[in-house]
Amino acid sequence: MVLREHCLECHQGDSAEGGVRLNNLNAATLPKQLDLLNRAQDQLFFGLMPPEDAAPLDQREQRILADWMRSELRLRHASKLDEKLRQPAYGNYIEHAALFAGSFKDKAFTPARRWLVSPQIFHERVNDVFGLEGRDRQKNFYGVTNPFVLPDQSGVRDYDINLLDGGHLLVMLNNAKWISEKQVFAAVSKGIQRQKLIFPNPKDRWYPPNAPAEWIAIVSKSDAPAEGELVAAIQKQFDNVLRRQASDQELDRYLQLFRSAIELGGNKKGLQTVLSSVLLESEFLYRTELGEEPADASGRRLLSPQEAAFAVAYALGDRGPDPLLLKVAQSGRLKTNEDFRREINRLLNDNQWFKGPVDPSLSGKNMQSHVSTHPKLVRFFREFFGYPNSTKIFKDLKRSDGFYQNPSRGTAGTPGFLVKEADRIVDWILLGDKNVVEKLLTTDQYFVYHDKDNESGKKVIAQWKEAYEHFKDTDWKNQPEKVIADNEDYIKDRKSLRILGGKQKREFLRYMYYWEESFGKGQTPFTTPSFAHGYTYNHSTFYNLPPTPHIFRYNTVVQQNFKGLDDEEFWNYPVKQPFPVPNRKGLLTHPAWLIAHSGNFHTDPIRRGRWIREKLLAGRVPDVPITVDAQVPDDPHKTFRERVEMVTMNEQCWKCHQQMNPLGLPFEGFDDFGRYRLDEPLEAPENLVAKTKKKNGFDSYRTKTVSTLGELKGTTQEELDGPVNDAFELIDRLAKSTKVRQSIIRHAFRFFMGRNEMLSDSVTLVDADRAYLESGGSFRSVVVSLLSSDSFRYRK
Amino acid sequence: MVTRRTFVQTGLLGASSVALLPQLSLAEAPEKKPPTRFIFLHKGNGLLPGSLVPPTFDKQQLELENRKQPLEIDLNGHDLPQWMSPLSDHQKNLTILQGLSGKMCTTGHHTWCSSLGVFKANERLSSIKWATVDFELAKMLPSPFGHIELACFPGGGGNSRGNINGIEKGFSARGPQQPNYAFGSPKVAVQELFKSVSTNQKSKANYQLEQQMLRFVAENQANLARQLKGFEKPKVGNYADALANIRSRDARVESMADVIRRNMPKLDEKYLADNLSTVDRQTGHTEILLSALISGMTNVVTFTLDELGTRYTGLPEIEGENVNQHDVGHGKAVARFSALEVREKIRQQHMHVIDQIVKRLKGIPEGTGTMFDNTMLFYFPDNGETHHSHGTEWPFVVLAGDNTPLNLGRRYIRLPGYAKEGHKTLGNWYTTILNAYGNPTEHYGALDVGLAIDQKGPIQKFLG
Repeated sequence: MVLREHCLECHQGDSAEGGVRLNNLNAATLPKQLDLLNRAQDQLFFGLMPPEDAAPLDQREQRILADWMRSELRLRHASKLDEKLRQPAYGNYIEHAALFAGSFKDKAFTPARRWLVSPQIFHERVNDVFGLEGRDRQKNFYGVTNPFVLPDQSGVRDYDINLLDGGHLLVMLNNAKWISEKQVFAAVSKGIQRQKLIFPNPKDRWYPPNAPAEWIAIVSKSDAPAEGELVAAIQKQFDNVLRRQASDQELDRYLQLFRSAIELGGNKKGLQTVLSSVLLESEFLYRTELGEEPADASGRRLLSPQEAAFAVAYALGDRGPDPLLLKVAQSGRLKTNEDFRREINRLLNDNQWFKGPVDPSLSGKNMQSHVSTHPKLVRFFREFFGYPNSTKIFKDLKRSDGFYQNPSRGTAGTPGFLVKEADRIVDWILLGDKNVVEKLLTTDQYFVYHDKDNESGKKVIAQWKEAYEHFKDTDWKNQPEKVIADNEDYIKDRKSLRILGGKQKREFLRYMYYWEESFGKGQTPFTTPSFAHGYTYNHSTFYNLPPTPHIFRYNTVVQQNFKGLDDEEFWNYPVKQPFPVPNRKGLLTHPAWLIAHSGNFHTDPIRRGRWIREKLLAGRVPDVPITVDAQVPDDPHKTFRERVEMVTMNEQCWKCHQQMNPLGLPFEGFDDFGRYRLDEPLEAPENLVAKTKKKNGFDSYRTKTVSTLGELKGTTQEELDGPVNDAFELIDRLAKSTKVRQSIIRHAFRFFMGRNEMLSDSVTLVDADRAYLESGGSFRSVVVSLLSSDSFRYRK
Repeated sequence: MVTRRTFVQTGLLGASSVALLPQLSLAEAPEKKPPTRFIFLHKGNGLLPGSLVPPTFDKQQLELENRKQPLEIDLNGHDLPQWMSPLSDHQKNLTILQGLSGKMCTTGHHTWCSSLGVFKANERLSSIKWATVDFELAKMLPSPFGHIELACFPGGGGNSRGNINGIEKGFSARGPQQPNYAFGSPKVAVQELFKSVSTNQKSKANYQLEQQMLRFVAENQANLARQLKGFEKPKVGNYADALANIRSRDARVESMADVIRRNMPKLDEKYLADNLSTVDRQTGHTEILLSALISGMTNVVTFTLDELGTRYTGLPEIEGENVNQHDVGHGKAVARFSALEVREKIRQQHMHVIDQIVKRLKGIPEGTGTMFDNTMLFYFPDNGETHHSHGTEWPFVVLAGDNTPLNLGRRYIRLPGYAKEGHKTLGNWYTTILNAYGNPTEHYGALDVGLAIDQKGPIQKFLG
């Protein structure tokens, strides 16, 4: 009826609109019918049909039509919309208001599933396969390549929709071979002194410190092992790899393989074949969450004890459950909402089990990733904000005035430092755990450099200052050797100054000039001198802070013809951090976020705006139409904003760009390196004012004042929506928005559940939102609420 | 404007690029037309652009060359530089291509997947952005192995960090964060690639064990997949299919046993030893490369002739020396030879390798011509123009068979210099090759952020 009234007028006969004919559906073959229904379902769901110039459907008609299409398609397992709505990009297609209205009381659940392990979990699982604990756990394995890669986009990246494929298999074949060889090697080598061992690859001399007795029993025999021994060896590998015992049916199959492999290759090769085979089970690469019978009245099954323990552990970290959690689960005390709350609270208060680097890939020769007690909680926010993507944007050194270092061999470069500093802010706010959302968006407190904690930094500065005071009135510039000789005992007592050994004159002079330029001017120097080996701190300017001395600044102080240092302004370093940085407000004005949401040569107001629309306002922006290849035109007299507006403000483009531009353009107050600015240099040859004299410096160009005007729409709060003067005003209003808070909670849901929310998750989301409000803005309360919810505990 | 058609074509190609194993499309592969083959040979320590200039250039040509002005000169009638003399029989197939830049790559000493992937790579797998160009080509040229990589690994620095005989991470990449693995020694390569036809009892048993395990795991996973439905089914089904595909590949290789056996590399024991000179290692690998191509096991081979950290032994007249290429890069003489002369010796050895390959392929009939007619060979540095390179130049020596669709032919070509109008990058060059052989990508590789000119797309004049 609805179809006839609203669709057939245009979609029938030879002149059907778009060639889509709905009048002869029954005559078409089944695949064609399903295809047509899928297309019609999409058009209806995404609001593209009926078109604007046709009579609209009322809510009832819309529902009747949608229900009919979906039931027909689902009956045949053919609903492509269902498949699409599982993708991260479609998370916001469930109406925000409906989710938080509180009127949906359906019983929540997550579909029974296999969830591909993340790269981090995979690595921890390999450690577990070898039974490594404590210091024996490895950061890298010589012969193991991580088969998994998460996508780069901002937002939640690890969903349960990914599949194992041929690429994973190829990598796993090599991994399984290497791991099983090491397992057998350890068993064969048990009791033999390391020095006497012959390693097949002399460059790969690691092997697990422990070998199970079950495998030693196999490899130490020359004749065929007894069935009981084979069973024990198989069960041991099941326990190591799959964390369960093999079923009788599995045992039968593995026993056959074992015997046949022994016959072909002997005990060692036979064992290795079996060990490899278990490693190649797809179960090793998935988190299995199927639920346990019996089902409740709604058809939902609780996670089994084992599944529950792993689900909790993997929600809060990358390692499997700690022994206590496993024990609690096995004794039937991980079932109820209260059980989950108790255990999650316990684990959130455990500052050791999950402790580790937030992102080991940032660590290099001169910088180590920030370490957190709960890296995974920090990881949610870094993925949500997407600021780690700054390491993927390559920049031109000259445009940064010589300060930007692109990631390169052994270093994540400037963006690596910036990402670490953003991680620190997130972790610091999470530790405070009050008004977390608001603080992340509005804090003016930043960590910059901060390579020593506040106490250590204070001590270093006190010691340096005392030494400077001690020497400053001596003739250290003209007679350094004499001053050193006169103060030999004083210097010896201060070994941390490193004014020692054969190069003590050079070191002494370097320190004194460094201090003269800082203490001498009433300022505090950075707590690591620029002449320290491997010095790489060079990025304060991206916060609009003065630079610290260049690595080579004090190189010439010992030369005969040294005539003194040029006068330069350096940063009065705040030892106590975090500290307020002017013209910054929260993570959206952090250089790491601004660079991550910029291009190689210019800002990206559209991407910045889209991020706010989708991540903070739970909004939707259609993908760029495939026929659009829009380029920002060149015009040497216009700012980048003006040039963007030249191509995005025509009627056809504005339909989508109005969702993004007014939110992103206020950030034109920051350039593509994240530096705050009032004017924009018009970087075109005709605007050149002066060539720089500085090596890798930025030439001077004519400038134009940037406009930071914008508009906030879509908070559904009248007092917040409306024009804004700049990013700071926009951020203040966003931080007050209920929708923004709830949107972040929706993303947290996706992060911890590994899927998009459904309407049946409404109770879970409302509860999590309430938990946040009632706890004074505690993110941990949100985590406890989500992880003890029905959505987390039940499968269907 | 990108048309819907080209977008869909490109999109589909891109989408299939990571997930599919090469052998998936074997069944559909047309057998009639001889396959196209690609050989990538790369070297460390830079390739000095000046060393490629024919000594017979006249004053005017030399002046243009020295000023890095665009040049296009027919090589007919010109002598090749002395070190290139082993290629004199192949001059009609030869192109010397100068003036490409590669500043979007890691440059300097070691470059990992940079020169084949056109991005800034380093030892971290996370730096691998996408499949290297040889893998992109291999995807279009189905064969049982898809792609084979051989390497004279460095002993220090760079890849592998010293395990020069093993199967280690190579210089090619299958996809984002997916390194390829290369065979370090001829012995290991023969064992692995030709294990299905091995006559050695131990190797035979190992192969059978491997097959037994694969059959077991494939059956297990297929059984499990059969019990699943909905979204869960492909999560295991896909994996089971991939296992089945590996088994089909092995079956296909087994079915080629006769042809593989006929083309087994015939190597003396010295080439299969654990300790062999660099030159012998190269010779051994070259025989394996030829066997793999001729037997049809693969159509794309990448061979790391050396890397900066590869210690050279066995070079003519300095056979006993253990040449440290890093020292040579810094101008250190070896025995009575200056650094430049040592560089020349190394390059000349590479030319012998190329001659060995081209001559052999020219001797094998295929279709109405020879196997070489359907082959392209690239010789290039892994890091650009010199030891401490900046990537302003990336010279290529190309040998192309008669059936190449590329318009290169017997020329010395110098493209406009860095940042000059019409300047071309490594990305443009690879885009040209990919486009010419059917991959319609708009641009392959990262862009040079310091280059203000339009740097996307193929080099049109080579597309004919």
